[in-house]
Amino acid sequence: MELQSLRLVNYRNYTDLTLNFSDGVNVFLGENAQGKTNLLESIYVLALARSHRTSSDKDLIRWQEKEATISGRVKKNISDTPLSLHFSNKGKKARVNHLEQSKLSQYIGQLNVILFAPEDLELVKGAPSVRRRFIDMEFGQMNPLYLYNTTQYRRILKERNAYLKRLQMKQTTDTIFLDVLTEQLVDIGSQVLLARQTFLERLEVAAQPIHAEISNKRETLTLRYQTSIDFEKGTDLATIKAVFEQTLKKQQTREIMQGSTLVGPHRDDIQFIVNDNDVAVFGSQGQQRTTALAIKLAEIDLMQQETGEYPILLLDDVLSELDANRQTHLLLAIQDKVQTFITAPTLSDVARQLIHAPKVFHVQQGEIVLEEQVE
Amino acid sequence: MDYPEPIAKLIDSYTKLPGIGSKTATRLAFYTLGMDEKDVLDFSKSLVSAKKDLTFCSVCGNITENSINPCVICRDATRDQSTVFVVENSRDVMAMENTRDYHGLYHILNGVISPSAGTGPEDINLPSLIRRLSEHQEIDEVIVGTNVTAEGEATAMYLARLLKPAGIKVTRLAHGLAVGSDIDYADQLTLIKAVQGRTEL
Ligand SMILES: Nc1ncnc2c1ncn2[C@@H]1O[C@H](COP(=O)(O)OP(=O)(O)OP(=O)(O)O)[C@@H](O)[C@H]1O
Ligand SMILES: [Mg+2]
Ligand SMILES: [Zn+2]
Repeated sequence: MELQSLRLVNYRNYTDLTLNFSDGVNVFLGENAQGKTNLLESIYVLALARSHRTSSDKDLIRWQEKEATISGRVKKNISDTPLSLHFSNKGKKARVNHLEQSKLSQYIGQLNVILFAPEDLELVKGAPSVRRRFIDMEFGQMNPLYLYNTTQYRRILKERNAYLKRLQMKQTTDTIFLDVLTEQLVDIGSQVLLARQTFLERLEVAAQPIHAEISNKRETLTLRYQTSIDFEKGTDLATIKAVFEQTLKKQQTREIMQGSTLVGPHRDDIQFIVNDNDVAVFGSQGQQRTTALAIKLAEIDLMQQETGEYPILLLDDVLSELDANRQTHLLLAIQDKVQTFITAPTLSDVARQLIHAPKVFHVQQGEIVLEEQVE
Repeated sequence: MDYPEPIAKLIDSYTKLPGIGSKTATRLAFYTLGMDEKDVLDFSKSLVSAKKDLTFCSVCGNITENSINPCVICRDATRDQSTVFVVENSRDVMAMENTRDYHGLYHILNGVISPSAGTGPEDINLPSLIRRLSEHQEIDEVIVGTNVTAEGEATAMYLARLLKPAGIKVTRLAHGLAVGSDIDYADQLTLIKAVQGRTEL
């Protein structure tokens, strides 16, 4: 799929900007704090209805203004769909084909994006929450039921933790309602667990050859889903539910004492293993970067398998963080198949050689001062 | 320049309504200035009376006039006294009554259980339902019509757990496709739920 055009009105440091993009590589060049990441972020928001940089939609609205709009046209094999998102103090409105969508889970998935920013190099060694967020965002784009389930899970978890606190403070002694919340948590949580396990197996299959390639066939990558609910690959949903429920039952006294849910998908993690060692612990910085890059590139293929279309790729300041070998792998992997948006202060020599006919936008203080089609 | 106090106060009052920001409130306030004096008077009377002359039915929790308590539905002996339809609020009763297809009684919870919002099982109109059921042995079915949200579902499940041991039949409204809708227009989640809740023909 391709994003053909983008319009920003009162978004971050843009007043009113319209851009038409190339189906290949688009580059946003400019000095610090000019609005390059803001542009990339707006494409991410158009796809996922939330930002990767802030959890407060208010930050997206240009200072002193009350509302912001992002709109764009997305081309898939046969269709050409206008999308728009409107932000104001009353919340956000998402439109597909000019029709307002009542559920965001219906909107998300119209435009699929993969973002690769310097922080993503932290995917391997960062906190577990970084990896959980990664699975939830990526898988959620491909599967609306998963997206819905993770949102429900968070809501139920919040209720259950609040109720455990009441029990802890002895504001109530009624455990029947706790049983209800446990049943809901197990029901939705088990679906989340199974979906994550399945997703990771497929991600591993897609990532292995890419990883082997970047490491010059010297290393093998495997992914392991580490969960507080003990189940093997290939376990069915009913069994996962039973195990999850038993695990919670065993913890119940401790949970009430601590006023918090101690096991479940919200505590899970992914382990990246290279040649039998956990890369987060034993890997060199280079190995950690290779792993992160392989995972990101694998996602592109996975999304293509799942949705029938390549997603668009957003690279925020990431090229300069990679050495020439990794830059080459990245740029070759996307060539001629994935519409890509790159931000950088300047382009490296490798990038200049490998990027075929980029469209370059020069960004200065919230305006595009020069647009050139490089041949 | 500031608005004269009376209009400023009116704008302020309008902004207290849900979904109304200061722009809309200002528009409404100026519109009100242009209205017939009689209409404005009626309007203000309705506002006060809605607050002063209404109360919650002592039996079912529905809104009713002060002078009619228990409410008209609870008083109506021709209604099926063996079935109670449990809903979140009075608007749901109106929706159900408009179908003219249900002839039993109601119980209005005036909320859902949501510990994170500070609402426990005892904070909604639920203890009175339990009392009502034990005092009225003729009630043998409770239909739970809370919303299909996580909180609505939890409230329904909680009711089922409390009532089933007492031998009361507890049923939940089916959810699925909207009548008259085409399958290809239904959203994916509705479709998935409809398939899960399919029935044999
Ligand atoms: N809501 C907003 N309204 C107006 N301006 C904003 C808003 N949010 C951020 N900005 C401005 O946007 C600028 C940052 O833009 P951005 O993060 O896109 O920079 P950049 O071009 O990516 O720079 P770098 O190369 O350092 O990453 C800051 O100067 C900030 O003041
Ligand atoms: Mg930036
Ligand atoms: Zn009544």
